[in-house]
Amino acid sequence: MNSPELNELWEKTLGEIEIEVSKANFLTLFKNTSLLSLEKNIASVAAPSTMIIDLLKKRFHDLIQKTLEKHAGEKMDLIFVPKTMPSKKEDTGPLFIEQEEKRKITIGHLPRVRQEYTFQNMAVSSSNQLAYISAQTVSQKIGTIYNPLFIYGPVGVGKTHLMQAIANHVYQKDPAKKIIYTTSEEFTNEVVEAIRTNNTAQMKQRFRSVYLLLIDDVQFIAGKDRVQEELFHTFNILIDNSAQVVLSSDRPPQEIKKLEKRLSSRFAGGLTVDIETPDFELKTAILLIKAKKYDIDLSVEIAKIIAEKVQDVRSLEGTLLRILTEAKTLGTEITEDLAKKTLSGRGEEKKEHIHPEDIIKNVCVFYNIKSTQIKGPKRDASLAKARQVAMYLLKKELNLSLVEIGNILGGRDHTTIMYGVEKIENNLSTKTQIYSEIMGITKNLRE
Amino acid sequence: MKLTILSENLQKNTSLINRIVSQRSQLPILLNILLKTEKGKLQINATDLEIGMQTDISASIEKEGSVTVPAKTFLELIGSLPVEKIVIQAKDGKLEVISKSTRTVFQTTPTDEFPKLFEEKGEEIMGFKSEEIKKDLNMVIFASSQDTGRPALSGVLVKKEKNELFFIATDGYRLSLKRKPITGKVDEWEKPLLIPARILREVISVKQEGGEIKLFVSNKSNQILFYEQDTVLVGRLIDAEFPNYQKIIPSDFGTQVLFDREELLKAVKICSIFARDSANIIKLSFQKEKIVVSANSPSVGENTVEVEARLKGEENEIAFNARYLLDLLGNISEESMVFEMTGPLNPGVFKIQGDNTFLHIIMPIRVQNEG
Repeated sequence: MNSPELNELWEKTLGEIEIEVSKANFLTLFKNTSLLSLEKNIASVAAPSTMIIDLLKKRFHDLIQKTLEKHAGEKMDLIFVPKTMPSKKEDTGPLFIEQEEKRKITIGHLPRVRQEYTFQNMAVSSSNQLAYISAQTVSQKIGTIYNPLFIYGPVGVGKTHLMQAIANHVYQKDPAKKIIYTTSEEFTNEVVEAIRTNNTAQMKQRFRSVYLLLIDDVQFIAGKDRVQEELFHTFNILIDNSAQVVLSSDRPPQEIKKLEKRLSSRFAGGLTVDIETPDFELKTAILLIKAKKYDIDLSVEIAKIIAEKVQDVRSLEGTLLRILTEAKTLGTEITEDLAKKTLSGRGEEKKEHIHPEDIIKNVCVFYNIKSTQIKGPKRDASLAKARQVAMYLLKKELNLSLVEIGNILGGRDHTTIMYGVEKIENNLSTKTQIYSEIMGITKNLRE
Repeated sequence: MKLTILSENLQKNTSLINRIVSQRSQLPILLNILLKTEKGKLQINATDLEIGMQTDISASIEKEGSVTVPAKTFLELIGSLPVEKIVIQAKDGKLEVISKSTRTVFQTTPTDEFPKLFEEKGEEIMGFKSEEIKKDLNMVIFASSQDTGRPALSGVLVKKEKNELFFIATDGYRLSLKRKPITGKVDEWEKPLLIPARILREVISVKQEGGEIKLFVSNKSNQILFYEQDTVLVGRLIDAEFPNYQKIIPSDFGTQVLFDREELLKAVKICSIFARDSANIIKLSFQKEKIVVSANSPSVGENTVEVEARLKGEENEIAFNARYLLDLLGNISEESMVFEMTGPLNPGVFKIQGDNTFLHIIMPIRVQNEG
């Protein structure tokens, strides 16, 4: 008998013994045993120590013999041999490999920057690889290579994570360096406050002496002239001092409306990278990272199920926690069934209830027009706007294809729909009116 | 079973027995120790299935017998008794421990469930003066690895070369080597032994007065057994190949420093406070007449300590893990030591002044330069 056959025979035998004996006995006595040879009706069983052999002989000799005979189909005697199993890692490994200094995370952290956002715990796939690598390069070569670094992409793709990872990395290398991480809203507030209290010199000093400046969601300075002017000068001085500037936005610099030409050209003067919506694989990877953070033993299968159902990256974590809580309340493990059950209880069912006609009806009620008008050929400004809102909602809420939406709205071409959806999307972040209208309609829809 | 015994004799090795008894075994019997009468003495047996120990204690036996009792409570009770005669007797499946003022009854488990520690002693291959071997092992064991993933490094290699015995241990980042001349009989034995560091640590901690330690090996069962007077420790040799250590021992050096071990130990202790937050890194800078020991932690601060020393050759700098330095300097008892190195990225060698039988090598840490 060769060794795979012996192993197989022994595994079968152990499988049966496991049922017969207590768990404690099995784990301490049987776990590291193996069948060494089987010759002339003599089976040699290896166990790690003489003490274990003594216990096996005293208490389980007959059981082992009987079970082994049953599976081998012949009579046999047992002998026990003390021998440790070759461990999986037989390689002794190299001696005296070079050790590199590993800097520990320093005590304290930057204001507004979350310490857990680091490069190490960011999931990378093709959708964000370029941004990730650029950010890493920037963090290592501050001010010298890509200046400014402009990261753009839709919500929840990890722009903030990347920016904060740069900040954390630089901070850990040298906490003495001055780093400011801010959002454009806070920047605006600071400028306004400085003007109000007549204290602009101090504010200028604060921003213009930094080593690394990171401004998140920079698109919100659109239309704010005084803030743009302030940023413009700060920006120039920082670049001249070869301090690093990192910006993030939901769209590329040229597409930010109401942004002064001189600013948008400067924003685009370094490296502009985008992050796309994460694909399925990346979402799975993110889930696994999050699970590790909460110390949950999440299998890849379950992560896949969740990633498939949940679109938004931010709600991945929430969903994971919901499933965990569910499992804890029920006192069970996290299983595929449980995940499916928990997932089916959310979001999806609401969508099932919403019918395209519901959306059109709601839009019409909101703008006080008739549904025949919205589907009709007329292109008055008020009608066109309502129609575009309907297109946007049909796309976002039901995720219908452009062609389908075109058909629902009276046989319009899919490019028309595309234009309409984009227009609303663009207006959403800049025009509060549209935003509140859409929120109003969706609220009505859900009720 | 019935016997009378002095509590202090019983107390002598309780902490050792406590360490041998497995702390969290799933098998209840392994949380027990076996007491039995043997040739006019009381014998205590303990094991966690990996190593086992047996110690004989003088007693006056009235009635032979054996019994197993829960180790932890039994030892704790014994430890808290004053020095006096105590009577231990087994009665109706229970064990009574009676002293002048206390009376304790233990539940017992059948003794036949307790594993036998060894079948045969094996062959005696060498003997040592207890004190000497304990000192030698102390200089080596600490360098062995705690990582069970690399079994070969979790032991101490004992081998014979010409007329000397070698003890070598390494965890992959440091290495300790001690040689000693062979005295007594070891002729027939040739095969190097890889002995688990754990059993050697226990061998060191056996408390017996000024005796001899005998080493037995049974090739048949890969078993190793240490005999020191009334105490036996038994374990198994590690079945793995010890890495080729010779090639990492540097053959020359450009910097040689003579220093006082105690002084450097103090300096490293102080600096390690600051090294704690920066991966335990300590820098040693060797200058004329002094060693500057320094550590810094970006968020806490930094400090430097100067230690008098005599330098031969070039001035130099090197960074080590503070723990490795503390281990080394704390396990040596000689006062004057020598350090030799070639460059900041090559292993540094520590020796004892005027003693070429000891060698300790530490791999330095590459320190990122600022900026």
